[in-house]
Amino acid sequence: MAILEARNVTREYRMSAETVQALSNISLTIERKEFVALLGSSGSGKSTLLNLFGGLDRPTSGEILFDEQSLEPLSSWEMSRYRLQRVGMIFQSFNLIPTMTARENVSLALAFAGLSKSERRKRSLELLERVGLSHRAGHRPSELSGGEQQRVAIARAIANEPRVLLADEPTGNLDSNRAAEVIGLLNDMRERDDKTVVMVTHDQELAKNYATRVIRLKDGKIVSNQ
Amino acid sequence: MNFLDIIALAWRNLRQSKLRTALTVIGVIVGVAAIVTLVSLGLGLQQNILGQALSKLDVFTLISVRGANVDALLELNEGRTLLDGGEGVNKEKANGAGDAAGANGNESGNSNEGTQNDGNQKPFPRLPRRVLNDETIAEIQKLKGVKYALPMVSFGTFVRFNDRVKYIWIGGAPAHVEDISRFNVFLAGHPFSSDDAREVIIDEDFLALFSAKWYQDRRAGKPRNDGPWRKGPTKSEAERAADAQQVIGKDLVLLTPHSNEDAPTSIFGIPILAQPETEIEPGPDAENDRRFEQHRFRIVGVLPSEEGFRVTPLANARMIVPLEVAKHFQQTNRNPIERIGEALAGDTGYQLAEVRVSTPMQVKPTMDQIDKMGFRTFSINNQLEEINRIFLIVNSTLALIGGIALLVATFGISNTMIMSIRERTREIGIMKAIGGSDGEIMRIFFVEASLIGLTGGTLGVIGGWAIDRVANRMANQWIIKQAAQTIRHIEFFSIPWYLAGGAILFALLVSLVAAIYPALSAARVDPIKALRYE
Repeated sequence: MAILEARNVTREYRMSAETVQALSNISLTIERKEFVALLGSSGSGKSTLLNLFGGLDRPTSGEILFDEQSLEPLSSWEMSRYRLQRVGMIFQSFNLIPTMTARENVSLALAFAGLSKSERRKRSLELLERVGLSHRAGHRPSELSGGEQQRVAIARAIANEPRVLLADEPTGNLDSNRAAEVIGLLNDMRERDDKTVVMVTHDQELAKNYATRVIRLKDGKIVSNQ
Repeated sequence: MNFLDIIALAWRNLRQSKLRTALTVIGVIVGVAAIVTLVSLGLGLQQNILGQALSKLDVFTLISVRGANVDALLELNEGRTLLDGGEGVNKEKANGAGDAAGANGNESGNSNEGTQNDGNQKPFPRLPRRVLNDETIAEIQKLKGVKYALPMVSFGTFVRFNDRVKYIWIGGAPAHVEDISRFNVFLAGHPFSSDDAREVIIDEDFLALFSAKWYQDRRAGKPRNDGPWRKGPTKSEAERAADAQQVIGKDLVLLTPHSNEDAPTSIFGIPILAQPETEIEPGPDAENDRRFEQHRFRIVGVLPSEEGFRVTPLANARMIVPLEVAKHFQQTNRNPIERIGEALAGDTGYQLAEVRVSTPMQVKPTMDQIDKMGFRTFSINNQLEEINRIFLIVNSTLALIGGIALLVATFGISNTMIMSIRERTREIGIMKAIGGSDGEIMRIFFVEASLIGLTGGTLGVIGGWAIDRVANRMANQWIIKQAAQTIRHIEFFSIPWYLAGGAILFALLVSLVAAIYPALSAARVDPIKALRYE
């Protein structure tokens, strides 16, 4: 019943002469409605693992499974659909398109799913409503605070109703108040909207306060998992 | 993503960097405008030339037939004249199966026997083997589909009319002019009453030549209103008809040399018609009367002047006399050299005959038949094919030259797109991360390029058209008017729909090709690397 699973996953990179192992034969499962924190220092492989769960990357060996289905045989196009509809990702630097308004940023995800203009208009407002930003819909990222930007990113991430939210250091660029807001929102979505959250962070406090399970990584291997 | 949304996104992207997009589009505009301008020039010229030739549609059923002249006869006899045993060609069999006389020195003078050569050998295929005369023309007339076969008889001499004298080229035509297009419309009067009447038919140009205005214009230094592009008539049809009616019934006088005593009284055994009475006009100077003859003719008809190119000999004649009269005059006007030719090779009859067939379909088969009879034929169709072939080459070359400019614009499009992608690497990464597929990304860039191509193409066609207008006006104002004030406005440029549509499509195609490399590299952007991009 695991919603996400990594099975004997190894990810290697070729750097000129050497080969670096970002992840070394790790295996883990994540159950529904968990709030999993991936903890570790730089280079521990936590972001790599998140990218693998997010369908942005493929393991060198081993497989990633979503809902018991392996991602390995998926074509490039199917992977893009996976990213669009099965998971939603948010990032430390928000990654909003700077020339688009909050509403347009959210609509973009809906447009990739093929929604019509009128459908997008309605739905994007609803999503911004969910994250409490409907009053800022017409503003560009440069006109929004960090916390607001991240919330827009969250609205975009849930646009196509994925079951899993993947967050890569979502609070890295936020002050502690805003950070709490954002994590609180993620947690709320987990409880109210039945989402599973996997968060990469190096903030132990945050992990301790919100996560149902903390997985520590070091040098590409799991050190603890509780 | 819906296609409309892709277009909207592409359009939005282009508007992000307005200046860069505009400059790229301008490149395409210049390229397309260059192609359109150059090719429209070629097409315009083609239109002009062919249009002039085709303005009289009856050229499609016209065949020109050439018979043997003295040169041809001598060639056929390998340089041997009648006097040293060569043969004339009077005895060609009617079915055309016989060959030209071979190098057969046995017969001398005018032999009446045909020579039999082995039927397979056909010497001198490019020469007419037979002479066009009344007999052979009658043969041609009998061919299937032939409406008429008319010998072209023409000569030039001095004409006195309206108290003025001019050298005029004169043609001959029968009284029965049905089917001869030159006589379709009479401004005034009617055709000849008989083939040998003392009548003439003139055209408007003839009247103009003898008018006071003509001399005034020449004195003032104005150019003649001549040539295919000359100004059309300024008076109304009714006025011209009234003017023409004025001269019906008036007389004019042909001046000719004294008849030779040894002018033939018969041609090929057919007795020449009785000599028309010569009337000697008592002139102011009695000397003159002895050096030439004067013949009075009555004007019975006036024809309108032909516009455009004058393709038939009758069209070129300002004055027409009955056929038999023309024949007689031509006989008596032979110059001494022509008489030598006659002695060497025999009578060469008419040089040219005009054959009209019933439908354009009939032209080729009739031409083949006449060729078999031993003549050389020519129809405008040959020339049209030739002209069109030449223009195809010309137009293609012009298009190629214009295409060079467009090629340069293509590199511009590629460059713009590559720079665009480089700047938007992060954006591409974001789109992929949120679920955009490689194909969708590619499509966005292809559409961006197409928008540039279509916009540039359309504006380029409009630009080319505008340049054409300006150039045409300048050409008409400065070049043509300087040359001859009387020429009407000429359209040098022609932009048919297929040029406009083709240019736009070509611009579109070119922009898509320019986008291939950029779009592919956009599709291959690694989202993880892109998101790390500053």
